Amino acid sequence: MKARRTCVLLFLGTVFCVAWPAPSPAQKPPTIAAAANLNFALNEMADAFARARGTRVELVFGASGTLTRQIRDGAPFELFLAADEEFPNQLTAAGLTRDAGAVYAVGRLVVFAPRGSPLTVDERLEGLARLAKAGGVSRFAIANPEVAPYGKAAEAVLRKRGIWDTIRPRLVLGDTIAQAGQFATTGNAVGGLIAYSLVLAPDFGDRGTYAVIPDADYPPLRQRMVLLKRASPTATRFYEYVLSDAARAIFRKHGYAVPQ
Amino acid sequence: MPDHRLAVSLHQDDPIPLDVEFSCDPGHVLAIFGPSGSGKTTILRAIAGLARPAHGRVQSGGDTWTDTDAGVFWPPHRRAVGFVFQEYALFPHLTALGNVMTALGHRRRPERRARAAELLNAVHLGGHDSKRPRELSGGERQRVALARALAREPAVLLLDEPFAAVDRAVRRRLQGEIDSLRRMLRVPLILVTHDFDDVVRLATHVLMLDHGRSVGYGSLSTLTSRPDLSWLHEAVGPGSVFEATVSRVDIDRGLVTLAFDGGTLLAPARQLAATTTVRVRIPAREVILATSAPTGLSLHNVLPGIVSAIHDDTTLDKAIIQMTVGRILLLAEVTRDAISKLDIKVGDHLHALVKSVSIEVFVPDTNASSVGPHFLDHTSHTVRIT
Amino acid sequence: MDWSALRVSLWLGAGTIIVLLPFGIWFGRVLAHRHFRGKLLVETLVTVPLVLPPTVLGFYLLVTFGARSPLGQAFQAVVGQPLPFSFEGLLFASAIANIPFVVQPIQRGFEAIPPDVRDAAACCGLSPWQRFLRIELPLAWPSVLTAAILTFAHTLGEFGVVLMVGGNLPGETRTLSVAIYDRMQAFDDRSAGIMAATLLVVATVTLMATTMLSRQVGSRRA
Repeated sequence: MKARRTCVLLFLGTVFCVAWPAPSPAQKPPTIAAAANLNFALNEMADAFARARGTRVELVFGASGTLTRQIRDGAPFELFLAADEEFPNQLTAAGLTRDAGAVYAVGRLVVFAPRGSPLTVDERLEGLARLAKAGGVSRFAIANPEVAPYGKAAEAVLRKRGIWDTIRPRLVLGDTIAQAGQFATTGNAVGGLIAYSLVLAPDFGDRGTYAVIPDADYPPLRQRMVLLKRASPTATRFYEYVLSDAARAIFRKHGYAVPQ
Repeated sequence: MPDHRLAVSLHQDDPIPLDVEFSCDPGHVLAIFGPSGSGKTTILRAIAGLARPAHGRVQSGGDTWTDTDAGVFWPPHRRAVGFVFQEYALFPHLTALGNVMTALGHRRRPERRARAAELLNAVHLGGHDSKRPRELSGGERQRVALARALAREPAVLLLDEPFAAVDRAVRRRLQGEIDSLRRMLRVPLILVTHDFDDVVRLATHVLMLDHGRSVGYGSLSTLTSRPDLSWLHEAVGPGSVFEATVSRVDIDRGLVTLAFDGGTLLAPARQLAATTTVRVRIPAREVILATSAPTGLSLHNVLPGIVSAIHDDTTLDKAIIQMTVGRILLLAEVTRDAISKLDIKVGDHLHALVKSVSIEVFVPDTNASSVGPHFLDHTSHTVRIT
Repeated sequence: MDWSALRVSLWLGAGTIIVLLPFGIWFGRVLAHRHFRGKLLVETLVTVPLVLPPTVLGFYLLVTFGARSPLGQAFQAVVGQPLPFSFEGLLFASAIANIPFVVQPIQRGFEAIPPDVRDAAACCGLSPWQRFLRIELPLAWPSVLTAAILTFAHTLGEFGVVLMVGGNLPGETRTLSVAIYDRMQAFDDRSAGIMAATLLVVATVTLMATTMLSRQVGSRRA
C-alpha cells in the first residue's frame, strides 16, 4: 500500500518535471510585443511570414506604455512595435535597443457608433458635439491617453473640436485601444474614438457606423518599431519583413498609411 | 524482576504551585486526592514527562526520568509510562486494535497485531478489534485506553480520573478490574481522583493535596483515621477505612463475621464468600463510646480500645476521638460535652460500639472476572526504550 | 480554446500546491501548537495577501525583482533571465498570494486535534516525528486537502498578479484567465466564452469537493 503510493508520487513528480511549461530558449519562437491596434494586421503578417520563411513568431499585444514598462522591467521581448515614436525612443535612450528602429506605419483614428446608438458619426464630430450638448452621451470610449498613443490622439481631436471639457466626465478609458474598442462596440458606450484597423478587422462585420477622422486633426500616429538588444536572427528577419512591400500591402489593407 | 519503585519530588510556584514528595512501591495504589485545581493532573503529567517542573526529581526503579538539578529530562516517549487520560484520548482515526498497536513499538513488527489482540481480549473487548472509538461506549473506550496503557509494559501506570465519565454500574466493574489488575502487575499504580469513593475502594496509600501542597500522605487506614484532617472530613465525613477478611458466613442469622487486625465485626450478610478480602469503612458518627461493655443492647459490635488522640473542633462543638483497636485506628465523633461527661483522656480504655448496619463494606466486584494472569507476557518484563 | 493557456493555468495551480503545501503543513502546525510573543502579528501577516489587491503584490514584485532593481539584476546574472515574465516568477507570486489559503485551513486542522491525543501519542512511545506522521497528519489530513483544493481554485482565478508580473507570454505566463481577456480584446468572443465556461466548471467542481471534504471532517469528529 505504501509502496504503491510512493510509486504514484514518483510518477507524478516525473511528469511534472518533464511537462514544466518553460521551454528551452533555443527552440522557442521569438516573442514580439506589439501595440493593441495592430492585432489584426500583425496576425495576418505573422501568418504570411510563417508561410514565406517557415518560422513562427509569438505575438503579445498590449498598450504601448505598458509594454515599454515591461521591457524596462526585463520582459523577454525581442521586437517592439509601438503605436507611437515616444515610447520606443525611451527604450533607445535607456540603451535597451539595438538602434533607433524605423517607422513602419502611420495609424488612423475613426469615430465609431455601434448599431442602435443615438450618436451620428461624421468626420468633424459634429454629431458628437450635438449629442454631448444635449446630455445624451452616457459614456464615450477612448484609450487611456497615458499609456496608449491612440488615446493621446483621441484627446487631441476632442480638444481641437472643443468637446474635451464637456465630454471628459463621460469618458471611459480602455487601457489599450483594443479595450476601448471593446467598450465602444459592445453597447457599453454610445461610441468611441478607436483605431481604423479595428473597424476594418475581419471579425468586425458591421457592428455599427464609423467615420475616419482627418489626419490634420491630431498629431500623426507615426508608429515606430525597435529591435531589442537580445533580438534573435528570426526577430531581425521579421523586422525586415515588416518593412517589405508585402507587409506594407497588409498595413494599407488594414487602414494604415505607410511612409515612403 | 526489576524494581519499579517510583519516587517523586516536585516543587514549583508557577504556573501551577506544587510542593509534594512521595513514593509508590510496585503493587501499591497511590490515590492522589484533592479538589479540582489542586494540581493532581499536573503531578501525573510531571511523572509522564508531559510537564517539566521547576524543581524536582522523578525516579522509576533505577532510571532517573527527571532531575532538574542535574539537567536530566527524559521526553515522554522514552519513559515506560502507561497513561489512561481522563477522556481516554483514543486516536479517532484508528481502530481499537490500531490504538493498542500504536503502543507496541518496542515489540518486533510481526508480533504486534497478535499482542494487541491479546490485550483487547484481556480487557474483555475481544470482538471489538476493528471498531473505531466513536463506535464504542464510554466504558469500552476506557478499556481500550487501559489496554493501550498496558501494551507499553509500563514501569508505572497512571490513571487520571478514570471513572469520571462513566455511570455507576460501569464504574463498579471498572474499579473491580483495576483492583485485580494491581494485584497482578508488579508496578506502582497512581490514581488521581476527586471522589473519595474511588479512594476507599482502590487505594492502598493516599496523597492528599490542597492547592498543590501535600496535606496528608500515608497508608489508607492511617490517613483515614487521622482526626486532624478537617479538610478531608469536610469532604467525606470522618471514618476509618481498613481491610478485613470474611471469616464466617452465618446464613441463618443473616450475618457475616469480618476479621480484622484487632478483632472481629459482625455485619449483615451479603453474598460474601468466606476468605474474601474486603474493605471496611466505619463512619465516625456511627461510633458510640462507653466506659464499660454494655449489656441488653441490640448491638453486635463492641470493640475494646485505647484512646490515642482527641481532636477538638471548638467551632462546631464536636470532637473526634481516635482509638487504637488492635492494630487499626477507629474514629468516633462525639459532642464536646460527652468528653467531659465521660472524662475522656488520652490513654483511657474505652469500648467502641458500632451498629452492624452502619458498617460500609466494599466488596471487589466478582462479576467482572478479573483481568487474567494470562495476559501478562512472561517473556519480556524489561522494556527497552530507545 | 487555448490549450497551452489551460496547461499553464493547471501547472500554475499544481506548482503552487507543491511549493506551498510543505511550508503550510510545517507553519500551520507551528502556529497551532506554539504560543509566542508576536504570534498575533505573524497570524495577521499570513492573512494579509487575502485582503491585498493583487496589483499591490504585482507592483512590489516588479519593483523588487524587475530588471531595474539590484535584486533583479543579481537574479538575472545568476539564473540567466529575470524573475518576472517567467513561469517561475509567476509561481513565486502565486505562492505568496496563496499563503493564507494554505496556512489557515491547516492551522485549524492541527488546532482541532485535542492536546490529550497528542500527549497520549507521546505516552505510547512515539517520537515527535512519529507522532506527527502517524497521529497528527492523518487527523489533520482533510484540512490539508482543503488547503490544496482552495489554493488550486484560487490560483486558476488569479488575474491581476499574472497580468502585471507575467507579461502574457504564450505558453509560459499566459494563463486561462489572461487568455480570456486577450481573446476579448481581439473581439474573439467565442473563444473567450468557451474558456470562461471551462473556468466556471472547474470552480464549481472545486467548491463541491471542498464541501464534501468538510462534511467528512465533521463526521470523523463525532
